[in-house]
Amino acid sequence: MRNNGLGRYFIRRLLQALPLIVGVVILTFVLIHLAPGDPLTILAGDGGSPSYYAEMRARYGLDRSIPEQLGRYVLEVLSGDFGYSFSYQQPVFQVILNRVPATLLLMVTALVFSTLVGLWLGVRAGSRPHSWSDYLINVFTSTFYSIPVFWLGQLLILGLSVGLNLFPVSGMVSVRESYTGFRQVLDVLHHLALPALTLALSFMALTTRITRTSLREALAEDYVRTAQAKGLSERTVIRRHALRNSLLPIVTLIGGQIGLLITGAALTETIFAWPGLGRLLLDASLQRDYPLLMAIFILVSVTVIVANLLTDLIYTMLDPRVRLS
Amino acid sequence: MKRYYRLSAVLALLLSGLMAACGDATPTVPATTAASAQTAATTTAVTTQAATTSATTTAASQATTVAATTAAATTVASTTQVAATTAAAAGTPKRGGTVVIAQSSDPGQFNPAITTSGGIHPFTDQMFNGLVGLDDNLNPVPELADSWVVSDGGKVYTFKLHPNVKWHDGQPFTSDDVKFTFEQALLKFHARTKAGLENVLDKIEIPDPLTVVFRFKQSYGPLLQRLDVVEASIIPKHIYEGKDVQKDPAILKPIGTGPFKFVEYLKGDRVVMERNPDYFKPGLPYLDKVIMRIIPTSSTALLALEQGEIDYLGSVPGSDIERLKKNSNITLAQGFGGSGGTLCQDVLIPNLTKAPFNKLEVRQAFYQALDRQFIFNQVYFGQGSPSTGPISRQMWAYSPNVKIYPYDVAQANQLLDKAGFPKGADGNRFSVTFTHSATSYARLADVMREQLKQVGIKLELEGLDTNAAVDKVFVKKDFDLGVVSYCNGSDPEIGVRRVYVSSNIGPITFSNGAAYKNEKVDQLLDQAAAQSDRAERVKTYAELQKILTEDVPYFWIVDSQGYRGYRSNFQGFRVSAGPFLEVAWVK
Repeated sequence: MRNNGLGRYFIRRLLQALPLIVGVVILTFVLIHLAPGDPLTILAGDGGSPSYYAEMRARYGLDRSIPEQLGRYVLEVLSGDFGYSFSYQQPVFQVILNRVPATLLLMVTALVFSTLVGLWLGVRAGSRPHSWSDYLINVFTSTFYSIPVFWLGQLLILGLSVGLNLFPVSGMVSVRESYTGFRQVLDVLHHLALPALTLALSFMALTTRITRTSLREALAEDYVRTAQAKGLSERTVIRRHALRNSLLPIVTLIGGQIGLLITGAALTETIFAWPGLGRLLLDASLQRDYPLLMAIFILVSVTVIVANLLTDLIYTMLDPRVRLS
Repeated sequence: MKRYYRLSAVLALLLSGLMAACGDATPTVPATTAASAQTAATTTAVTTQAATTSATTTAASQATTVAATTAAATTVASTTQVAATTAAAAGTPKRGGTVVIAQSSDPGQFNPAITTSGGIHPFTDQMFNGLVGLDDNLNPVPELADSWVVSDGGKVYTFKLHPNVKWHDGQPFTSDDVKFTFEQALLKFHARTKAGLENVLDKIEIPDPLTVVFRFKQSYGPLLQRLDVVEASIIPKHIYEGKDVQKDPAILKPIGTGPFKFVEYLKGDRVVMERNPDYFKPGLPYLDKVIMRIIPTSSTALLALEQGEIDYLGSVPGSDIERLKKNSNITLAQGFGGSGGTLCQDVLIPNLTKAPFNKLEVRQAFYQALDRQFIFNQVYFGQGSPSTGPISRQMWAYSPNVKIYPYDVAQANQLLDKAGFPKGADGNRFSVTFTHSATSYARLADVMREQLKQVGIKLELEGLDTNAAVDKVFVKKDFDLGVVSYCNGSDPEIGVRRVYVSSNIGPITFSNGAAYKNEKVDQLLDQAAAQSDRAERVKTYAELQKILTEDVPYFWIVDSQGYRGYRSNFQGFRVSAGPFLEVAWVK
C-alpha cells in the first residue's frame, strides 16, 4: 500500500516538473540568444565573404527570428533530437556524456569529503558552543567559504604542487605514462586530490554552519533532556538522538548541492584543466555553442528536479513526522 | 524551509546560465595576458610562423632600418628588441622521445580544410600538408608539390606533385585529392581561401596523377602564399568522397599525409599523435610521440611548464617573462607574429560612420594622444614592437616610409580644438565608449583611459567576453571604438586586404570593422593582387601604407611578437603554429 502511494507520488512529482523544464528551456533559450555574441566565428571562421556568412547563417537556421528558432528547437527536442554541437560537430549528448564521468568523480569526491568533514566539524562546534574549538572552526570554514574558488585553486597549486611538489598541477592522468590497473587508479586519485580539495573546502563551510545551528536547536529539545536524564553519555545523546533530528536541513543542503554538481565545478575544472562538464559549459558559452549550451541547461535542470525529489524521499525516511502528500 | 531551498537552487541555476550567456562568468584568467594572446589564439587565423635564425636576422635588420629612417619618432626608435632565437641550435637531431604541448582549447574536430579556426589548426597542421610550404621568411618551398611553373602572365600555375606520398592509411596521394579538396572543401567552407580564390579562380585541371593546374581568370600573384597547410590543407578524397565534409565522423579520425599520425582524442583532456614512419620527407619527423594537452588557463599551463608536466607552451604571459628568463630549465623564444597567427597586430577600430571619428583631425589627435611606447612597455611587457602602420614590420611588404604620429599631447589638443571639440567645463571634449574583450585588453583599456584624459577625451570602458565584443563591433556595429588582433597572414592579400577593402563593409567578423572606404585603396589592393612579381607588389603596398597612415582609419598599436616557452632539453621547434613540430627533437 505504502509502495503504491510512493510510486504515484513519484509520478505526480515528475509530471509537475515538466512545465518547469519547459520554462527553463524557453527562458534559457531566449536569454542565450538575446545575449550579445554570435556562434558564426566557430561555424564559419574568419576572413570570409559576406555571402558565405549569410549562407552559413541560413544553413544553421541562425537567420530566423528568435521565436521561430525557439519553436523549431522545442519541436526537435520533443522528438528526441537535441541537435549537433557547433564546435564539436557531433550530437550534443555524445559530447556531454563524454564529460560526465570526470565531473561525477570530482563532484562526488568533493561532496562526500565536505559532508563528512563538515558534519564532524559542525557537531564539534555545536556540542561545545562558544568554546575555542567552536571559534576556530568558525574562522576556518568562513575563510574558505569567502575565498573565490579560482584563487583558492591557484594558491593550492602554488603551495602543494609547485612548492611542496606533492601533487600534479593539472589534468586527470600522467600523460607520459601508460599506467593500467591499480597504478592507473592511484594516478587518477593523485590528480583528483587538489581539485577535489578546492571544491570541498568551499562547500564545507555551509555544511558545518548548518549542522552546528541545527544541532544546537535539537539539543534544546525535551527529548534530549530526557535522554540526558536517563544518564546516557553525551556521545550517545548527540549521535542517537540530537544529530538524527538535526539532519533534515543538511539533507536539503546536500540535495541542493547535487543539483549544482554539474555547473558548480566550472571554475575548478578550468583551473585544473579537469576534463569535466562544468568546463564544457564554460567553453560552450564562450563560443556561443547554442545547442550544446541548451542541452547542458536541460540536463542541469533535470538533475536539480530529481535531486529535490530524492531529498523529499529521504526526509520521510529520516523523520516519520514528514509525510508525502 | 524546504521550499526556500528548492527555489534558491533553481534561481542559482538560472543565474549561472544568465551569467554564462552574458559572458560575464569568465573570471578564470586573472588578467595577466596583456599581450592579447587570448584573442589571437582563439579567434583568428593560425598561419605559418617560424623564428629560426634567419627570420630574426631579417627582422632585426628591418627594425634597424626603421629606426634609422624615422629617427624623429621616439615611438619607433627603440624597437630593435628582437631576441636571438636560435630554435635550430647546435647539435645533431636524433630520433625518439615524446613532447607534451599545451593548447588552450579543444579542437572539436580535425578537418582542416573546412575551417580557419585557430583552435583546430595547431593540431591538424602536424597531421596534414599543403601543396606548398612556407619558410621562415614566408617564401614558398616545396611540400606536397615538388616544383611549379607560373605561365601565361601569372594566370596559370602548374604543380608537379611529390611521387609516392602515402596517406596515413596507406592509400596513395594523387592530384585527385588536390582537386577534390579545393572543390569540395576549401572553396566551399574555408572562409579565407574561399573568399580569396572563388572569384578569380577559373578551374583546376588534373592531366595526370602527379600534375595539378590552377587556371585563373586574371593574373593572380599571391597564390603560392595561400597553399600552405594553414590556408589549404589537402584532405583525402577516398575518405570524404560523397560524404558531408563538415559532419561525417571521419572528421574525428583524421587521415593526413603529415609528419604525425592521429592516435586518439580525449575531449577536454588531450590529443595524441605518433610519428608517421612513411612520411615523405626522409628522416622526418624526429619525435616518436606528440601529446597535446588542453589547458584552458594560461597561468596553470605556465606552472605545468615549470613543473615539467608539459614541454612547450605557445604563448607565455608577458608578465611572467622576466621571471622565466631566470629559469635555466626553460628556454624562451620570441616568435614570428602573434601567439596564434602570423604577423598579428593589435589594432584599435574607430567607428568611422559617426562622430567623432569620422573627422580626420580627431583621428590624428587621438593617435598622437596615445603614448604607444609606454603602452608597449607597460601593457605588452616589451613583446613585439610599436606599430607604425597597417602592415607588420616583420612582413616582406612592410614599408617604413609612412606618416608617423609621435606622442604629442599639445598637438593633439590643438587638433581637437581645430576639429571643433572644445573642452567643456569639466575638462572633457567628448566621451568615447571602448568596447573590448576584457580577458585580453583590460590592461590596455585602463592605460588608454588615463592617457586620453590629458587631451579631454573621456574613455568609457565596456569590457565584454571576446565573442560579445567581436559581435558588437563587427556584426552589430554598435560601438565607438573597438580593438582586435588582426593577423596579416603570410601575404597582405590574406590578412591586410580584408581590413581595408570597402567591399568588406558589412557584418563580417575580423574585416573592415571601421567601415573605411577609399577608392584609391581598393584599387591598390586589386593591383597588388594581380602583380606576380614580388618586387612590384612591395612597391604597390608601400604606396598603400602611405595613404593609410595619412588617413588613419585604424589605430595600429603593436606588431605582436609573443614568447614561446619550452623545456631546454628540446630543440628545433619552428616556434610557430603550422607544422612547428616537424623538425623538433629532444636531447
